[in-house]
Amino acid sequence: MKRTRNAGVAALGVTIAALLIAANASAEDGAIDRGRAVLEAAGGCTCHSDGKGGGGPLSGGRAMKTPFGVFYSTNITPDPETGIGRWSDADFVRAMREGLAPDGHAYFPVFPYTSFTGMSDADVRALKSYLFTLAPVRRENRPHDAWPPFSWRIAAAAWRWMFFEPGRVEPDPAQSPEWNRGAYLVTAVAHCGECHTPRSLPGALDRSRWLAGSKDGPEGDLAPNLTPDVDTGIGLWTKTDMIWFLQTGQLPDGDDTEGLMAEVIEHGYGHVPEPDLQAIAVYLHALPAVRNDALAEHDHDHAHDPDAAE
Amino acid sequence: MHSNRIARRTGIAAAALLASIGLAGAASAQDAKKLDEGSIKYRQSLMESVGGDMAAIGNILKYGLPLTGNIVVHAEGLASHAKLVGSAFERKATSGPNDSEPAIWEKADEFKEKTRAFETETAKLVEVAKAGDPAALGVQMKATGKSCGGCHDNFRKPKEESFKRKGGGGE
Repeated sequence: MKRTRNAGVAALGVTIAALLIAANASAEDGAIDRGRAVLEAAGGCTCHSDGKGGGGPLSGGRAMKTPFGVFYSTNITPDPETGIGRWSDADFVRAMREGLAPDGHAYFPVFPYTSFTGMSDADVRALKSYLFTLAPVRRENRPHDAWPPFSWRIAAAAWRWMFFEPGRVEPDPAQSPEWNRGAYLVTAVAHCGECHTPRSLPGALDRSRWLAGSKDGPEGDLAPNLTPDVDTGIGLWTKTDMIWFLQTGQLPDGDDTEGLMAEVIEHGYGHVPEPDLQAIAVYLHALPAVRNDALAEHDHDHAHDPDAAE
Repeated sequence: MHSNRIARRTGIAAAALLASIGLAGAASAQDAKKLDEGSIKYRQSLMESVGGDMAAIGNILKYGLPLTGNIVVHAEGLASHAKLVGSAFERKATSGPNDSEPAIWEKADEFKEKTRAFETETAKLVEVAKAGDPAALGVQMKATGKSCGGCHDNFRKPKEESFKRKGGGGE
């Protein structure tokens, strides 16, 4: 009798343990799926992939041309020697949300921790869970090729001290849940402002012209004005145009997209669920229209450039 | 006396010949300029047609318009126009407002490869459009757009140098 009861208790214990393991595994699976979704909403973290240079996905080495020199992205595969394989969750959260490496040095703001600081810890941790399921790639990080004093590590720390405003994107109760979701995605995860907002002389985002386009976009390209200004922005785009564009890379006039934007759509935004793209479109369309002809600024800067177009 | 006349007439004939060569030269230079101009305009109108059909399919799909039957016609338009791209760029015309990179003629083989890719993708688009599966159509539209970008990437001037912004007409 007693034995039977003991056996029953043991069986129950085993069942509970199995259930707990299963629940844990499915929570882990959930985090991985969520992390993949976060990666895609972040544009596939494509700046960490150097396809043209022959590097595997997310193993770093891609050259990012900036007005301060050329920076090379880092290996974010879980390789323990050359990637982030030895990072703890806390290391990863601190890097993403505070711009500090595990050894405490500040990252150059070419890594957009200035945007990722707005992410939830849960999303950041989920992203790490997903990255750690990827095959580790052994590829040494390449030193940056910036001009002094921008190449000095202390400059990154000074910049961070002067311009970095940490903190989550907080919901605005006056706005709809859809707008708030769009604001979170655009501002933090998708980090649109990093390319599409003009920068001041020391390279800080000019928030008075939020998403109004930049002549110094990534890789020397121009990043268009995303505010609903009719002449210089996306005032003539419908929300449907925006969703379709982010899914396919096709512009409303039938033209295609090239460069980094084409890549972040292919590896990232193009896989984001439609309700989230709708939220992004709602947020962008509700932005104050800013008249900013980034092209004209580009012309002005290149007026005496013999390489400029005829 | 006789030889004098021959010499005189030879002189006249030579002068006439030289003048006509000069005129012909001037005329052919003028013709060449006109051909350049025309080639550029033709290229641009061909690309407008391609963009128009791409936008039309995009609009039917993104708005879910009950015009899916029209997609085949637009896809066929793209596939036929794709075959013209090679000939449209045969003439190396680079003067005046236009978005062609000289690389088109400097790396002619690579350019040809890209135009072939565009032909292949648009031909596939016709097949997929005829089959009528919207999901497959979306995928093939992306592939087609990528073949546009694959060529534009190296062979079209970047937007900041676009002829449309230099008073070259168009939008």
